[in-house]
Amino acid sequence: MNRMVPLAILALAILAFATLMLVIAPAIQIRSEAPTPGLKPYTAQQLRGRTQYVAQGCIYCHSQQPRSIDQAPDAERGWGRASVASDYAYDRPHLLGTMRTGPDLFNVGARLPSRGWHLTHLYQPRAIFGWSIMPAYPYLFERKEHAEPGDVVIILPADRAPKKGVIVAKREALDLVAYLQSLDHTFPAPTRAVRDDGYAEKGEPR
Amino acid sequence: MESFEPYEEFKPIPLPVLIIAVALALWGVFTLLDNGKAVTVGRAERSDQIADQHANRQNGAELFVSRCATCHQPNGSGVEGAIPPLASSPFLKASPEVAMHILLNGIDGPIRVGDATFEGHMPSFASVLSDADIVRLVTHVRGTFADRHDLLTEGDVATARLLAGRRGAWQGGQEIAARLDASLGPQPPMSSATQAAIDPIAQKLVSQGNGQTWACASCHGMRGQGSASVPRLAGLPAAYIAKQLGDYVTGKRRNETMQLVARTLKPQDMRRIGDYYSVMRAPSNARASLGGDLVRGERLVLDGDWARGLPSCVSCHGPSTFGVAPSFPALSAQHPEYTAAQLTAWVSGTRDNSTGRLMNGIAARLNDADRRAVADYLATLPPVPAPATRGRTNGK
Ligand code: HEC
Ligand code: HEC
Ligand code: HEC
Ligand code: HEC
Repeated sequence: MNRMVPLAILALAILAFATLMLVIAPAIQIRSEAPTPGLKPYTAQQLRGRTQYVAQGCIYCHSQQPRSIDQAPDAERGWGRASVASDYAYDRPHLLGTMRTGPDLFNVGARLPSRGWHLTHLYQPRAIFGWSIMPAYPYLFERKEHAEPGDVVIILPADRAPKKGVIVAKREALDLVAYLQSLDHTFPAPTRAVRDDGYAEKGEPR
Repeated sequence: MESFEPYEEFKPIPLPVLIIAVALALWGVFTLLDNGKAVTVGRAERSDQIADQHANRQNGAELFVSRCATCHQPNGSGVEGAIPPLASSPFLKASPEVAMHILLNGIDGPIRVGDATFEGHMPSFASVLSDADIVRLVTHVRGTFADRHDLLTEGDVATARLLAGRRGAWQGGQEIAARLDASLGPQPPMSSATQAAIDPIAQKLVSQGNGQTWACASCHGMRGQGSASVPRLAGLPAAYIAKQLGDYVTGKRRNETMQLVARTLKPQDMRRIGDYYSVMRAPSNARASLGGDLVRGERLVLDGDWARGLPSCVSCHGPSTFGVAPSFPALSAQHPEYTAAQLTAWVSGTRDNSTGRLMNGIAARLNDADRRAVADYLATLPPVPAPATRGRTNGK
């Protein structure tokens, strides 16, 4: 092969340029962002729940990145305002997700604040939405004859309740729900925050 | 035998290829610049929107028209027997703090203005007007209707606001005269009959649930304020709430979660819960969040749009959209996500329960932008001054 050296240099230069523009420059841009005012760090329990969220594969069906209103009606669906980089300050790594088989969850704590509802839904989504295709996570719960002090008994419609005894949440389920309840980014985004402005044009709603 | 490796002789790149490459590069630079413009536009609009939300753009006269005139009338004459006049009112002639405290707390109970006694509810504007708005509004109404021009500062409002949350509404003119300004003259006393007792059964249902379903408060909040897609219930008419719960059971109104909840309630529970929420008074926690045009929203709510056959919303939902019991719900201080979702639900048919199908046609005539405008504007209105009274320690 001829001109090995120039070819190799050119290929490396292109790679270096791409790394600069797609990795290094954004990292510099984002590193100086302070957390959005109003954003709280996770508690220990919420962090354990976050680990469950990753381990159970929730991210394969749920995104955490609401879009601006000129891209999709996410705000009207109750999914919240378009997220900005500083909303993810305490997420390492972020759980943006790529699929929306189910609804975006970035503000699920604001639109569904009930712990009891989430426990029922995780135990059996079809107890609430007959048409749901979300998997059930029964192994995050256990059946007991009687609830002991401190147990969280979950509420089930008569046709889903066990014949005998009660269903109580294991710690994993409680952690996961604590994490879901913490997903509330309804505070306003700073005007100068790093975000995707799409093809914003004057006079269009955002 | 060694094979001969072919090679090309050096030839310059053909001109068309060069031109295409340069054109592509220019296009890239142009797109970058254009995208940069989008960022600037986006930022500018967001700061405008924030300014809008703080209503910094409205001067005192505009604030009066949009916030007060539906009740007190554009010329401040009030409505005989229902709403006191502002024109020549002693409450405006008194020190500016009186008007400020009235705006921050609202008034319940009897109050004497001129020669007439009124017994209505003046809403609290604390959760929807900024300190600067209140200064401009007070300056405007006192200057226009009482010819008084001494000034209030934003600092005064900020200090008073800290106390306003704890105090609740003024209990009639007598308390205002006693606490703020003795020059208001004799005022009628507060009758104790307005003290509503809390129904302990309803309270238990709401805060702890009935064992078969989740507690209402776990979603709708301890004070019935709701959030995002969960509606505010505080201050809705009792009969309206009971009707909605019934409609979830029959399926005239569809929502999987609320249908499950409602099926566990007995009809008398529904009425109890309706009574319980209808007298609940809570500050607004709603915020315009759909990027709707608030000016357009205000026009639609107050005047409608006859070119499109849209009646004004206040013609049915009452002044300031505080609702008209028993059938017309309050819309003010409702979360815009929820309001927009309902307007969509009437079009799609998941909600088909309004009396005489009144809302179906109205919702169908609102386009996307108008729906967002209306929903956002309604979120900026003050909450219903429900007949609740403060310091309710009776019951539990
Ligand atoms: C196979 C895809 C899939 C997976 C995996 C999945 N979900 Fe879902 N999820 C859905 C769908 C579809 C819905 C809508 C129907 C429903 O609510 O059941 C949904 C709804 C939800 C909702 C209700 C959101 C709303 O606004 O109504 C929550 C909360 C939720 N999922 C949490 C989770 C959690 C936590 C996990 C991981 C333990 C998970 N999901 C895994 C598909 C999935
Ligand atoms: C929903 C109707 C309504 C709206 C809107 C309203 N008010 Fe009132 N206002 C009342 C009623 C009713 C009373 C008498 C309260 C009572 O009887 O306890 C009152 C009383 C007053 C009083 C004391 C009595 C008087 O006439 O001087 C002042 C001052 C006042 N309002 C100012 C305002 C201002 C300023 C605004 C606009 C920010 C406003 N109000 C908006 C209904 C309303
Ligand atoms: C899991 C969360 C959740 C719980 C628990 C819950 N609600 Fe709701 N509620 C909602 C949502 C979400 C809506 C909006 C539904 C829709 O779009 O129709 C709603 C709507 C309503 C409405 C209609 C309001 C209107 O303005 O038309 C009423 C009334 C209501 N709920 C009462 C109750 C009562 C009473 C309870 C307790 C017995 C309760 N809810 C428990 C989430 C909940
Ligand atoms: C002709 C009378 C009428 C007019 C005008 C009217 N409404 Fe209504 N609206 C109703 C009735 C009646 C209901 C209650 C339906 C029910 O019982 O479920 C209602 C309910 C609603 C609700 C549901 C509230 C809730 O808590 O769920 C919304 C939102 C609403 N209207 C918005 C509007 C808007 C926005 C306008 C103005 C563009 C408007 N309405 C004009 C009669 C009217």
